[in-house]
Amino acid sequence: MKYIFPIFLILVLYRCAPSRYVKPLAKKENSLALSFGGPLIKFSGAPIPIPFTTLGYGYGLTDNITAYGNLHTTSALFGNSQLDLGATFSLYKKENSFGITASPALQMAYSIANKTGFRVWPSADANIYFHPAKKTSYLYAGINSWFEFSKLRAHGEDQKKHLVPNLQMGYVIAKTKWQHQFEFKYLGAGIPNTPGVVEYIGISGKGALGIYYSLVRKF
Amino acid sequence: MKTIYFLLAMGFVSSCMKLDSNLYNNDNEIKSYQLEDYTGEQDFILDASYAISADKITLLTLSSQTEKESSVTEIKALYIGDLTKINTDTVILYCHGNKWHMDFYWQRAKLLAHVNGKNTYGVMMLDYRGYGLSSGKPTEEGMYADVDACMKWLKEKGLENKRLVIYGFSLGTASSCELTANPRSLVPSKIILEAPFASAEVMVQDGSQLNMPAEYFTDLKIDNAEEIKKIEQPFLWLHGLNDNFLNYKTHGQVVYKNYGGSQQEKYLIEGADHGEVPEKMGFETYLKTLGTFIRK
Repeated sequence: MKYIFPIFLILVLYRCAPSRYVKPLAKKENSLALSFGGPLIKFSGAPIPIPFTTLGYGYGLTDNITAYGNLHTTSALFGNSQLDLGATFSLYKKENSFGITASPALQMAYSIANKTGFRVWPSADANIYFHPAKKTSYLYAGINSWFEFSKLRAHGEDQKKHLVPNLQMGYVIAKTKWQHQFEFKYLGAGIPNTPGVVEYIGISGKGALGIYYSLVRKF
Repeated sequence: MKTIYFLLAMGFVSSCMKLDSNLYNNDNEIKSYQLEDYTGEQDFILDASYAISADKITLLTLSSQTEKESSVTEIKALYIGDLTKINTDTVILYCHGNKWHMDFYWQRAKLLAHVNGKNTYGVMMLDYRGYGLSSGKPTEEGMYADVDACMKWLKEKGLENKRLVIYGFSLGTASSCELTANPRSLVPSKIILEAPFASAEVMVQDGSQLNMPAEYFTDLKIDNAEEIKKIEQPFLWLHGLNDNFLNYKTHGQVVYKNYGGSQQEKYLIEGADHGEVPEKMGFETYLKTLGTFIRK
Protein backbone atom coordinates (compact mmCIF):
# COMPACT_ATOMS: atom_id res chain seq x y z
CA MET A 1 0.00 0.00 0.00
CA LYS A 2 1.32 3.42 -0.87
CA TYR A 3 0.44 6.65 0.90
CA ILE A 4 1.29 8.54 -2.18
CA PHE A 5 2.23 12.19 -2.35
CA PRO A 6 1.56 12.57 -6.07
CA ILE A 7 3.51 15.79 -6.46
CA PHE A 8 6.71 13.94 -5.80
CA LEU A 9 6.22 11.89 -8.91
CA ILE A 10 7.82 14.83 -10.65
CA LEU A 11 11.08 14.28 -8.86
CA VAL A 12 12.10 12.12 -11.71
CA LEU A 13 12.07 15.26 -13.78
CA TYR A 14 15.72 15.49 -13.02
CA ARG A 15 16.38 11.95 -14.11
CA CYS A 16 17.46 13.50 -17.38
CA ALA A 17 16.09 13.19 -20.85
CA PRO A 18 18.54 12.15 -23.58
CA SER A 19 19.66 15.70 -24.25
CA ARG A 20 23.24 15.08 -25.44
CA TYR A 21 24.28 14.07 -28.93
CA VAL A 22 25.40 10.50 -29.36
CA LYS A 23 26.94 11.32 -32.71
CA PRO A 24 28.31 14.79 -33.46
CA LEU A 25 26.71 16.98 -36.10
CA ALA A 26 28.60 17.97 -39.23
CA LYS A 27 30.56 21.22 -39.06
CA LYS A 28 28.23 24.28 -39.02
CA GLU A 29 25.18 22.05 -38.93
CA ASN A 30 22.31 23.09 -36.63
CA SER A 31 19.67 20.97 -35.05
CA LEU A 32 16.59 21.40 -32.92
CA ALA A 33 15.28 18.58 -30.79
CA LEU A 34 12.19 17.90 -28.79
CA SER A 35 12.39 15.05 -26.31
CA PHE A 36 9.58 13.32 -24.49
CA GLY A 37 9.72 10.64 -21.89
CA GLY A 38 10.78 9.71 -18.46
CA PRO A 39 11.05 6.90 -15.97
CA LEU A 40 8.37 4.32 -15.54
CA ILE A 41 6.52 4.50 -12.28
CA LYS A 42 3.71 2.54 -10.72
CA PHE A 43 0.64 4.68 -10.49
CA SER A 44 -2.58 3.11 -9.21
CA GLY A 45 -0.94 -0.25 -9.80
CA ALA A 46 -0.17 0.31 -13.47
CA PRO A 47 3.21 1.12 -14.98
CA ILE A 48 3.20 4.50 -16.72
CA PRO A 49 5.96 6.56 -18.27
CA ILE A 50 6.17 10.17 -17.18
CA PRO A 51 6.08 12.42 -20.25
CA PHE A 52 8.66 15.08 -19.55
CA THR A 53 9.75 17.40 -22.30
CA THR A 54 13.01 19.00 -23.28
CA LEU A 55 13.76 21.46 -26.08
CA GLY A 56 17.30 21.42 -27.37
CA TYR A 57 19.61 23.09 -29.82
CA GLY A 58 22.92 21.84 -31.14
CA TYR A 59 25.59 23.27 -33.40
CA GLY A 60 28.48 21.51 -35.07
CA LEU A 61 31.60 23.44 -34.14
CA THR A 62 33.68 20.99 -36.12
CA ASP A 63 32.92 17.60 -37.58
CA ASN A 64 34.04 16.14 -34.28
CA ILE A 65 32.64 18.57 -31.71
CA THR A 66 29.01 19.56 -31.23
CA ALA A 67 28.00 22.15 -28.68
CA TYR A 68 24.48 21.90 -27.32
CA GLY A 69 22.04 23.35 -24.87
CA ASN A 70 18.69 22.17 -23.62
CA LEU A 71 15.80 23.81 -21.91
CA HIS A 72 13.84 21.45 -19.67
CA THR A 73 10.37 22.75 -20.40
CA THR A 74 8.52 20.72 -17.81
CA SER A 75 10.62 22.37 -15.10
CA ALA A 76 9.24 25.73 -16.18
CA LEU A 77 5.81 24.60 -15.02
CA PHE A 78 7.10 24.71 -11.49
CA GLY A 79 8.66 28.13 -11.86
CA ASN A 80 12.12 26.70 -12.40
CA SER A 81 14.70 27.32 -14.99
CA GLN A 82 16.54 24.11 -15.81
CA LEU A 83 19.17 24.18 -18.52
CA ASP A 84 22.01 22.04 -19.55
CA LEU A 85 24.99 23.06 -21.62
CA GLY A 86 27.51 20.63 -22.98
CA ALA A 87 29.53 19.38 -25.88
CA THR A 88 29.82 16.05 -27.60
CA PHE A 89 33.33 15.03 -28.64
CA SER A 90 34.08 12.32 -31.12
CA LEU A 91 36.80 10.17 -29.58
CA TYR A 92 36.98 7.63 -32.34
CA LYS A 93 35.05 7.02 -35.51
CA LYS A 94 35.09 4.74 -38.46
CA GLU A 95 32.92 6.33 -41.13
CA ASN A 96 29.50 4.64 -41.54
CA SER A 97 30.54 1.90 -39.18
CA PHE A 98 30.93 2.86 -35.52
CA GLY A 99 32.29 5.49 -33.22
CA ILE A 100 32.82 6.47 -29.61
CA THR A 101 31.81 9.82 -28.14
CA ALA A 102 31.99 11.61 -24.82
CA SER A 103 29.69 14.43 -23.67
CA PRO A 104 30.58 16.44 -20.58
CA ALA A 105 27.87 18.89 -19.55
CA LEU A 106 26.68 21.17 -16.79
CA GLN A 107 23.14 20.73 -15.52
CA MET A 108 21.87 23.98 -14.04
CA ALA A 109 18.67 24.73 -12.20
CA TYR A 110 17.25 27.77 -10.45
CA SER A 111 13.90 28.46 -8.85
CA ILE A 112 12.74 31.59 -10.62
CA ALA A 113 9.52 31.67 -8.64
CA ASN A 114 11.37 31.70 -5.31
CA LYS A 115 14.49 33.48 -6.56
CA THR A 116 16.64 30.90 -4.86
CA GLY A 117 18.17 27.48 -5.14
CA PHE A 118 20.73 27.86 -7.91
CA ARG A 119 22.48 24.54 -8.35
CA VAL A 120 24.94 23.12 -10.83
CA TRP A 121 25.57 19.43 -11.33
CA PRO A 122 28.29 18.29 -13.70
CA SER A 123 27.37 15.29 -15.80
CA ALA A 124 29.19 13.14 -18.30
CA ASP A 125 28.14 10.72 -21.04
CA ALA A 126 30.11 8.12 -22.91
CA ASN A 127 28.47 6.34 -25.83
CA ILE A 128 29.36 3.91 -28.53
CA TYR A 129 27.32 3.89 -31.74
CA PHE A 130 27.12 1.42 -34.54
CA HIS A 131 25.64 1.62 -38.06
CA PRO A 132 24.18 -1.79 -38.91
CA ALA A 133 24.77 -2.74 -42.56
CA LYS A 134 26.27 0.72 -43.11
CA LYS A 135 22.84 2.36 -42.95
CA THR A 136 22.53 5.99 -41.87
CA SER A 137 20.43 4.93 -38.89
CA TYR A 138 22.36 3.65 -35.90
CA LEU A 139 22.22 1.81 -32.61
CA TYR A 140 23.99 3.06 -29.53
CA ALA A 141 24.67 2.25 -25.90
CA GLY A 142 26.38 4.13 -23.15
CA ILE A 143 26.59 5.43 -19.64
CA ASN A 144 25.69 8.78 -18.15
CA SER A 145 26.44 10.06 -14.67
CA TRP A 146 25.42 13.06 -12.64
CA PHE A 147 27.85 14.22 -9.97
CA GLU A 148 26.84 15.74 -6.66
CA PHE A 149 29.66 17.63 -4.98
CA SER A 150 27.74 18.86 -1.91
CA LYS A 151 28.99 17.35 1.32
CA LEU A 152 25.77 18.11 3.17
CA ARG A 153 22.12 17.76 2.31
CA ALA A 154 18.95 19.02 3.99
CA HIS A 155 19.15 19.73 7.73
CA GLY A 156 22.94 19.44 7.74
CA GLU A 157 22.90 15.68 7.19
CA ASP A 158 25.65 14.00 5.20
CA GLN A 159 25.19 13.79 1.45
CA LYS A 160 26.09 10.17 0.88
CA LYS A 161 25.54 9.81 -2.86
CA HIS A 162 27.97 11.72 -5.02
CA LEU A 163 27.39 9.92 -8.27
CA VAL A 164 24.11 8.91 -9.90
CA PRO A 165 24.86 6.55 -12.79
CA ASN A 166 22.47 5.87 -15.66
CA LEU A 167 22.79 3.31 -18.44
CA GLN A 168 21.24 3.81 -21.85
CA MET A 169 20.71 2.15 -25.18
CA GLY A 170 18.84 3.44 -28.18
CA TYR A 171 18.18 3.54 -31.86
CA VAL A 172 18.25 6.57 -34.14
CA ILE A 173 16.30 6.49 -37.39
CA ALA A 174 18.24 9.05 -39.41
CA LYS A 175 16.68 10.68 -42.47
CA THR A 176 18.26 13.53 -44.39
CA LYS A 177 16.85 16.27 -42.16
CA TRP A 178 14.74 14.50 -39.55
CA GLN A 179 15.74 12.01 -36.93
CA HIS A 180 13.68 9.86 -34.63
CA GLN A 181 15.54 8.75 -31.54
CA PHE A 182 14.24 6.03 -29.23
CA GLU A 183 16.06 5.46 -25.97
CA PHE A 184 15.73 3.05 -23.11
CA LYS A 185 17.42 3.98 -19.82
CA TYR A 186 18.24 2.40 -16.54
CA LEU A 187 18.32 5.41 -14.23
CA GLY A 188 20.09 5.40 -10.90
CA ALA A 189 21.59 2.04 -11.80
CA GLY A 190 22.21 -0.04 -8.72
CA ILE A 191 20.78 2.52 -6.30
CA PRO A 192 17.95 1.15 -4.10
CA ASN A 193 14.67 2.81 -5.09
CA THR A 194 13.05 2.36 -1.68
CA PRO A 195 12.34 3.84 0.78
CA GLY A 196 10.93 6.65 -1.25
CA VAL A 197 7.83 8.60 -2.09
CA VAL A 198 7.96 7.60 -5.75
CA GLU A 199 7.25 4.01 -6.73
CA TYR A 200 9.76 3.52 -9.52
CA ILE A 201 9.84 0.47 -11.74
CA GLY A 202 13.40 -0.68 -11.47
CA ILE A 203 15.36 -3.90 -11.47
CA SER A 204 15.27 -5.92 -8.26
CA GLY A 205 14.30 -2.83 -6.27
CA LYS A 206 17.08 -0.72 -7.71
CA GLY A 207 17.04 2.24 -10.08
CA ALA A 208 14.27 3.15 -12.49
CA LEU A 209 13.62 2.14 -16.06
CA GLY A 210 12.83 4.95 -18.44
CA ILE A 211 11.75 5.34 -22.06
CA TYR A 212 12.28 8.40 -24.23
CA TYR A 213 11.59 9.64 -27.71
CA SER A 214 13.27 12.58 -29.42
CA LEU A 215 12.33 14.27 -32.64
CA VAL A 216 15.28 16.03 -34.20
CA ARG A 217 15.35 18.44 -37.14
CA LYS A 218 18.68 19.32 -38.72
CA PHE A 219 19.19 22.41 -40.80
CA MET B 1 11.20 28.75 -39.33
CA LYS B 2 8.02 26.64 -39.49
CA THR B 3 9.99 23.82 -37.96
CA ILE B 4 10.97 25.97 -34.99
CA TYR B 5 7.36 27.03 -34.39
CA PHE B 6 6.22 23.45 -34.70
CA LEU B 7 8.72 22.19 -32.13
CA LEU B 8 8.03 25.05 -29.73
CA ALA B 9 4.29 24.48 -30.00
CA MET B 10 4.71 20.77 -29.31
CA GLY B 11 6.84 21.51 -26.29
CA PHE B 12 4.34 24.00 -24.95
CA VAL B 13 1.35 21.73 -25.44
CA SER B 14 3.03 18.75 -23.88
CA SER B 15 3.98 20.87 -20.86
CA CYS B 16 0.55 22.31 -20.13
CA MET B 17 -0.23 20.24 -17.09
CA LYS B 18 -0.85 21.49 -13.59
CA LEU B 19 0.57 19.54 -10.69
CA ASP B 20 0.76 22.21 -8.00
CA SER B 21 -2.19 20.90 -6.02
CA ASN B 22 -1.13 17.29 -6.32
CA LEU B 23 0.50 16.90 -2.95
CA TYR B 24 -2.72 15.77 -1.43
CA ASN B 25 -4.16 12.31 -1.83
CA ASN B 26 -7.64 13.22 -0.68
CA ASP B 27 -10.89 11.53 -1.63
CA ASN B 28 -13.95 13.76 -1.44
CA GLU B 29 -16.24 11.56 -3.49
CA ILE B 30 -17.84 9.79 -0.54
CA LYS B 31 -21.48 10.55 0.30
CA SER B 32 -21.33 9.66 3.99
CA TYR B 33 -18.97 8.27 6.59
CA GLN B 34 -19.25 4.53 7.07
CA LEU B 35 -16.83 4.15 10.01
CA GLU B 36 -17.51 0.63 11.35
CA ASP B 37 -19.30 -0.37 8.14
CA TYR B 38 -16.48 0.83 5.91
CA THR B 39 -15.33 -2.01 3.68
CA GLY B 40 -12.67 -0.23 1.64
CA GLU B 41 -8.94 -0.72 1.97
CA GLN B 42 -7.63 -0.22 5.52
CA ASP B 43 -4.32 -0.74 7.27
CA PHE B 44 -5.88 -3.16 9.75
CA ILE B 45 -9.26 -4.12 11.15
CA LEU B 46 -9.72 -4.51 14.88
CA ASP B 47 -11.74 -7.32 16.39
CA ALA B 48 -15.09 -6.87 18.12
CA SER B 49 -13.50 -6.26 21.50
CA TYR B 50 -12.47 -2.83 20.27
CA ALA B 51 -16.01 -1.80 19.35
CA ILE B 52 -17.13 1.64 20.42
CA SER B 53 -20.73 2.14 21.39
CA ALA B 54 -22.64 4.47 19.09
CA ASP B 55 -23.46 6.91 21.88
CA LYS B 56 -19.73 7.59 22.28
CA ILE B 57 -19.28 8.66 18.64
CA THR B 58 -20.18 12.20 17.62
CA LEU B 59 -19.80 13.49 14.10
CA LEU B 60 -19.13 17.22 14.08
CA THR B 61 -19.19 20.04 11.58
CA LEU B 62 -16.72 22.78 12.44
CA SER B 63 -15.87 26.12 10.88
CA SER B 64 -12.29 26.68 9.87
CA GLN B 65 -10.70 29.82 8.52
CA THR B 66 -7.14 30.77 7.70
CA GLU B 67 -5.86 34.30 8.30
CA LYS B 68 -6.00 35.06 4.60
CA GLU B 69 -9.51 33.75 4.01
CA SER B 70 -12.58 35.96 4.07
CA SER B 71 -15.03 33.11 4.59
CA VAL B 72 -15.12 29.95 6.63
CA THR B 73 -14.69 26.40 5.38
CA GLU B 74 -16.86 23.70 6.90
CA ILE B 75 -14.89 20.66 7.94
CA LYS B 76 -15.97 17.35 9.41
CA ALA B 77 -14.54 15.88 12.57
CA LEU B 78 -15.51 13.17 14.96
CA TYR B 79 -15.19 12.81 18.68
CA ILE B 80 -15.02 9.46 20.45
CA GLY B 81 -15.95 9.83 24.09
CA ASP B 82 -18.31 11.66 26.35
CA LEU B 83 -18.80 15.26 25.25
CA THR B 84 -19.83 16.30 28.72
CA LYS B 85 -16.51 15.14 30.18
CA ILE B 86 -14.15 17.05 27.88
CA ASN B 87 -13.68 19.54 30.71
CA THR B 88 -12.06 16.80 32.79
CA ASP B 89 -10.88 14.15 30.30
CA THR B 90 -7.54 13.87 28.57
CA VAL B 91 -8.04 14.11 24.82
CA ILE B 92 -5.89 12.71 22.01
CA LEU B 93 -6.21 14.84 18.91
CA TYR B 94 -5.38 12.55 16.02
CA CYS B 95 -4.10 14.17 12.80
CA HIS B 96 -4.40 11.53 10.13
CA GLY B 97 -2.22 10.88 7.11
CA ASN B 98 -2.62 11.75 3.47
CA LYS B 99 -4.94 8.97 2.48
CA TRP B 100 -8.52 9.66 1.42
CA HIS B 101 -10.65 10.38 4.50
CA MET B 102 -11.57 9.45 8.08
CA ASP B 103 -13.12 6.10 7.13
CA PHE B 104 -9.66 4.87 6.20
CA TYR B 105 -8.37 5.94 9.63
CA TRP B 106 -11.38 4.90 11.68
CA GLN B 107 -9.73 1.74 13.01
CA ARG B 108 -6.78 3.81 14.21
CA ALA B 109 -9.01 6.32 16.00
CA LYS B 110 -10.91 3.45 17.57
CA LEU B 111 -7.67 1.89 18.74
CA LEU B 112 -6.62 5.18 20.34
CA ALA B 113 -9.92 5.18 22.22
CA HIS B 114 -8.51 2.16 24.10
CA VAL B 115 -5.35 3.77 25.47
CA ASN B 116 -5.33 3.01 29.21
CA GLY B 117 -8.72 1.33 28.83
CA LYS B 118 -11.79 1.78 26.68
CA ASN B 119 -12.88 5.42 26.47
CA THR B 120 -10.52 6.48 29.22
CA TYR B 121 -9.41 9.32 26.98
CA GLY B 122 -11.38 11.23 24.41
CA VAL B 123 -10.19 10.95 20.83
CA MET B 124 -10.79 13.58 18.20
CA MET B 125 -10.09 13.10 14.51
CA LEU B 126 -10.82 15.36 11.57
CA ASP B 127 -10.87 15.37 7.82
CA TYR B 128 -8.78 18.26 6.57
CA ARG B 129 -10.52 20.47 4.02
CA GLY B 130 -11.01 18.58 0.78
CA TYR B 131 -10.77 15.19 2.49
CA GLY B 132 -13.91 13.09 2.92
CA LEU B 133 -16.94 15.28 3.53
CA SER B 134 -14.98 18.37 4.51
CA SER B 135 -15.56 21.12 2.01
CA GLY B 136 -12.88 23.19 0.29
CA LYS B 137 -9.58 22.24 -1.22
CA PRO B 138 -6.55 21.03 0.69
CA THR B 139 -3.85 23.57 1.42
CA GLU B 140 -1.06 23.63 3.95
CA GLU B 141 -2.38 26.69 5.79
CA GLY B 142 -5.90 25.27 5.60
CA MET B 143 -4.75 22.03 7.18
CA TYR B 144 -3.30 23.91 10.15
CA ALA B 145 -6.45 26.02 10.47
CA ASP B 146 -8.57 22.87 10.39
CA VAL B 147 -6.65 21.24 13.23
CA ASP B 148 -6.82 24.50 15.14
CA ALA B 149 -10.60 24.55 14.58
CA CYS B 150 -10.70 21.26 16.50
CA MET B 151 -8.60 22.78 19.26
CA LYS B 152 -10.96 25.75 19.44
CA TRP B 153 -13.93 23.44 19.75
CA LEU B 154 -12.18 21.39 22.44
CA LYS B 155 -11.27 24.57 24.30
CA GLU B 156 -14.89 25.74 24.18
CA LYS B 157 -15.86 22.39 25.69
CA GLY B 158 -13.48 22.97 28.56
CA LEU B 159 -10.27 21.24 27.50
CA GLU B 160 -7.10 22.68 28.98
CA ASN B 161 -3.59 22.57 27.55
CA LYS B 162 -2.35 20.04 30.08
CA ARG B 163 -4.94 17.47 28.98
CA LEU B 164 -4.35 17.75 25.26
CA VAL B 165 -2.10 15.19 23.56
CA ILE B 166 -1.53 15.64 19.85
CA TYR B 167 -0.82 12.61 17.67
CA GLY B 168 0.30 12.95 14.06
CA PHE B 169 0.69 10.19 11.54
CA SER B 170 2.64 10.79 8.31
CA LEU B 171 1.16 13.94 6.73
CA GLY B 172 -0.56 14.62 10.06
CA THR B 173 2.84 15.10 11.68
CA ALA B 174 3.03 18.46 9.88
CA SER B 175 0.06 19.99 11.68
CA SER B 176 1.06 18.27 14.94
CA CYS B 177 4.51 19.85 14.85
CA GLU B 178 3.32 23.20 13.55
CA LEU B 179 0.61 23.64 16.18
CA THR B 180 2.83 22.46 19.01
CA ALA B 181 5.77 24.63 17.96
CA ASN B 182 3.58 27.63 17.13
CA PRO B 183 0.47 27.14 19.27
CA ARG B 184 -2.82 28.80 18.50
CA SER B 185 -5.98 27.95 20.45
CA LEU B 186 -4.41 25.35 22.72
CA VAL B 187 -0.89 24.21 23.55
CA PRO B 188 -0.56 20.42 23.43
CA SER B 189 1.09 19.01 26.52
CA LYS B 190 2.58 16.02 24.69
CA ILE B 191 3.31 15.12 21.11
CA ILE B 192 3.32 11.72 19.44
CA LEU B 193 4.66 11.40 15.92
CA GLU B 194 4.23 8.18 13.98
CA ALA B 195 6.26 7.91 10.77
CA PRO B 196 6.99 11.63 10.60
CA PHE B 197 8.58 13.16 7.56
CA ALA B 198 11.42 15.61 8.08
CA SER B 199 10.58 18.12 5.37
CA ALA B 200 9.59 18.48 1.75
CA GLU B 201 13.29 18.96 1.05
CA VAL B 202 14.18 15.52 2.35
CA MET B 203 11.44 14.00 0.21
CA VAL B 204 12.86 15.73 -2.83
CA GLN B 205 16.40 14.69 -1.99
CA ASP B 206 15.48 11.10 -1.22
CA GLY B 207 13.68 10.91 -4.55
CA SER B 208 16.39 12.53 -6.64
CA GLN B 209 19.49 11.37 -4.72
CA LEU B 210 20.80 14.90 -5.24
CA ASN B 211 21.10 17.90 -2.91
CA MET B 212 18.14 19.57 -4.54
CA PRO B 213 16.07 22.38 -3.01
CA ALA B 214 12.41 21.64 -2.34
CA GLU B 215 11.51 24.99 -3.91
CA TYR B 216 11.96 23.44 -7.33
CA PHE B 217 8.77 21.48 -6.82
CA THR B 218 6.68 22.98 -4.11
CA ASP B 219 5.93 26.09 -2.11
CA LEU B 220 5.09 24.00 0.93
CA LYS B 221 6.69 25.29 4.10
CA ILE B 222 6.27 22.02 5.98
CA ASP B 223 9.48 21.48 7.88
CA ASN B 224 9.08 19.19 10.87
CA ALA B 225 12.84 18.92 11.28
CA GLU B 226 13.02 22.64 12.02
CA GLU B 227 9.72 23.06 13.91
CA ILE B 228 10.57 20.26 16.34
CA LYS B 229 13.50 22.38 17.58
CA LYS B 230 10.97 24.71 19.22
CA ILE B 231 9.12 21.88 20.96
CA GLU B 232 9.96 21.07 24.59
CA GLN B 233 6.89 19.05 25.49
CA PRO B 234 7.46 15.29 25.96
CA PHE B 235 7.84 13.64 22.58
CA LEU B 236 7.22 10.05 21.50
CA TRP B 237 8.47 8.88 18.11
CA LEU B 238 7.18 5.68 16.48
CA HIS B 239 8.52 4.52 13.13
CA GLY B 240 8.66 1.27 11.18
CA LEU B 241 12.15 0.09 10.34
CA ASN B 242 10.80 -1.16 7.02
CA ASP B 243 9.01 2.07 6.18
CA ASN B 244 9.34 2.08 2.42
CA PHE B 245 7.67 5.44 2.02
CA LEU B 246 9.26 7.69 4.63
CA ASN B 247 12.71 6.41 5.48
CA TYR B 248 13.10 6.29 9.24
CA LYS B 249 16.73 7.38 8.91
CA THR B 250 16.37 10.33 6.56
CA HIS B 251 13.03 11.49 7.97
CA GLY B 252 12.13 10.31 11.49
CA GLN B 253 15.62 10.18 12.87
CA VAL B 254 16.31 13.76 11.79
CA VAL B 255 13.14 14.94 13.53
CA TYR B 256 14.05 12.98 16.66
CA LYS B 257 17.60 14.34 16.68
CA ASN B 258 16.40 17.94 16.31
CA TYR B 259 13.85 17.78 19.15
CA GLY B 260 14.25 20.82 21.40
CA GLY B 261 13.26 19.26 24.71
CA SER B 262 14.67 16.67 27.06
CA GLN B 263 11.86 14.11 27.36
CA GLN B 264 11.94 11.98 24.25
CA GLU B 265 11.22 8.34 23.61
CA LYS B 266 11.50 6.30 20.46
CA TYR B 267 10.17 2.96 19.30
CA LEU B 268 11.52 1.62 16.03
CA ILE B 269 9.40 -1.29 14.97
CA GLU B 270 11.01 -4.27 13.31
CA GLY B 271 9.31 -5.30 10.07
CA ALA B 272 6.83 -2.42 10.03
CA ASP B 273 6.19 -0.57 6.79
CA HIS B 274 4.43 2.78 6.59
CA GLY B 275 1.09 2.46 8.36
CA GLU B 276 1.96 -0.85 9.96
CA VAL B 277 3.35 0.35 13.28
CA PRO B 278 0.33 -0.47 15.50
CA GLU B 279 -0.18 -3.90 13.96
CA LYS B 280 3.48 -4.97 13.88
CA MET B 281 4.05 -3.59 17.34
CA GLY B 282 1.03 -5.52 18.52
CA PHE B 283 -2.09 -3.60 19.46
CA GLU B 284 -1.70 -4.26 23.17
CA THR B 285 1.96 -3.22 23.20
CA TYR B 286 1.11 -0.16 21.15
CA LEU B 287 -1.64 0.85 23.54
CA LYS B 288 0.54 0.18 26.56
CA THR B 289 3.36 2.28 25.09
CA LEU B 290 1.05 5.20 24.43
CA GLY B 291 -0.66 4.79 27.78
CA THR B 292 2.60 4.87 29.69
CA PHE B 293 3.80 7.91 27.75
CA ILE B 294 0.58 9.83 28.34
CA ARG B 295 0.42 8.94 32.03
CA LYS B 296 3.97 10.05 32.81
